Amino acid sequence: MTDSSFALRVQHLAKTYAIGFFRKKVRAAVDVSLEVTCGEIFALLGPNGAGKTTTLKVLMGLIRPSAGSVELLGRPVGDLHAKRRLGYLPESPYFYDYLTGRELLVFMGKLFGLDRGESQRRAAALLDQVGLAGAADLALRRYSKGMLQRVGLAQALINDPELVILDEPLTGLDPLGRKDVRELIADLRKRGKTVLFSSHILPDVELLADRVTILVRGRTVATGPLDQLLDARLISTEVVMGRPTETLLGELAAAGHMVVRSGDTAQVTVQGEVSVDPVVDLIRKHGCSVLGVSPRKESLEDVVVRQARAGDARSEGTDA
Amino acid sequence: MGKILTIGVNTFREAIRNKVLYSLLFFAVLVIVGSLAFGALSVHEEVRLTTDLGLAGMSLFSVIIAIFVGVNLVYKELERKTIYTLIPKPIHRYQFVLGKFIGMVLTLSVQIAIMTIVLLGVIALQGGALSMALLKMVALIFVEVMVVTAVAVLFSSFSTPFLSGLFTVGIFLLGRSVPEIRIAARKVQSQTVAWLLHGVSAVVPNLRYFYTTGAEVSGGHVSVHTSFPDWSYVASASGYGLIYIALVLMLAMVLFARRDFI
Repeated sequence: MTDSSFALRVQHLAKTYAIGFFRKKVRAAVDVSLEVTCGEIFALLGPNGAGKTTTLKVLMGLIRPSAGSVELLGRPVGDLHAKRRLGYLPESPYFYDYLTGRELLVFMGKLFGLDRGESQRRAAALLDQVGLAGAADLALRRYSKGMLQRVGLAQALINDPELVILDEPLTGLDPLGRKDVRELIADLRKRGKTVLFSSHILPDVELLADRVTILVRGRTVATGPLDQLLDARLISTEVVMGRPTETLLGELAAAGHMVVRSGDTAQVTVQGEVSVDPVVDLIRKHGCSVLGVSPRKESLEDVVVRQARAGDARSEGTDA
Repeated sequence: MGKILTIGVNTFREAIRNKVLYSLLFFAVLVIVGSLAFGALSVHEEVRLTTDLGLAGMSLFSVIIAIFVGVNLVYKELERKTIYTLIPKPIHRYQFVLGKFIGMVLTLSVQIAIMTIVLLGVIALQGGALSMALLKMVALIFVEVMVVTAVAVLFSSFSTPFLSGLFTVGIFLLGRSVPEIRIAARKVQSQTVAWLLHGVSAVVPNLRYFYTTGAEVSGGHVSVHTSFPDWSYVASASGYGLIYIALVLMLAMVLFARRDFI
């Protein structure tokens, strides 16, 4: 793979802040490495304090790394040529609340060197695309959190960027808004753009991302395509039955299965990659009906939790 | 230059949509118009009193506006996190600082222009004529206010509005007292204190170059009514002011370029 196929490359990034009067040191990133290929949708995952926002802020030139190297579109951070081809949405975005949505986008367009006419044309098209055409001339102080997120996305796209970096783009949106943003991100991929985003909303990540990197306590702990990171093995199988008898539920519990009763139905969970035939046979023997059988494989959430726990254990081992 | 101006115009737009600023401008205009009443109390000195009160009010309120808006300029961008959207755009950090300063200067130009028009109107009402000395004084007030704004922007680039305000007011008061500080430095017994006073008078801007009416300039008494310096004095004082502004803004840009926006 040649260097030009990478939209961005972060190698062994570290960032230590000195905060407060006594300049207490806080390690926000310890060893973060990731490579995003042109044209892919890449997600940055991890629990709170994992270093996701710190990494994105370094990429955007908002903070300077203590160690490591960062390259964006083949150029160092802060390079104006790279910045012209970049779109960025910060986490929980704040904008000049005395401006209207349209004024904000025209202002941002001018910072990219677009003339007034072109800025206004793109502003109108983007406001329409993010569903804010009706609120274009409303002051931003009157916007709801979801509307601010949408106008934030619009300003990130005003320069028709090659690389779009979004910090928690799905946060603060209602289900409809999340669907719209998912579609917008998917549309960017169709148009050949590269998208790097961080998110806590893992089902959306599963729907969108080609590859992910998981950060735990400031370190990269896993990177790869989703299907490689997800364990293909069966975690458990849930069997739902109708009108169970107390004797049946007692026998299932005695066999070591987890049983949850809910009104006229009950659910029994069979752990691991084992056959559910004995459970189904027992239910039928007691004259009850099997309403459904659902196998459960590892989800992205399981992977993040597993990696976070493993990362915590490693850190404790190192600390000791 | 285009991007600096874009940020400047946006800063100007922020200022003119700020209600507090209108209140300050209202009070300034009130003081100038109020001088009509004071003028009526004096005998045959109406124009003189109105001019003195009007210029003093214009200077004071312009400095208050410069400090009030100036110390909040950069800090508000950090506090409201609007800077997170701006810095990733294709601009250099120094363009941001310069844009903020230019926006502030645009705002103050409009404010001082309004105050001057009101003052000239009041003087005309009293039968006074347009005085060139008054216009020179207004030009000097404008340069002084730009110096104070640059100092406010410098402190705002690394400190909170409260501390920035405190420091800027301190620099303003010291700047207006430079001749007295120099006299004190010559008279004190302690060599250390003398050095300290000399140091202070060298570092702070000599704002007495700008507020000349009623003061001693080059050994002679200067008054906007009788013997005001000529335009070459205004030009040299402005030159001094612009050099001071350039140095202060350069320091602000260096400090701002090194900041982490956590």
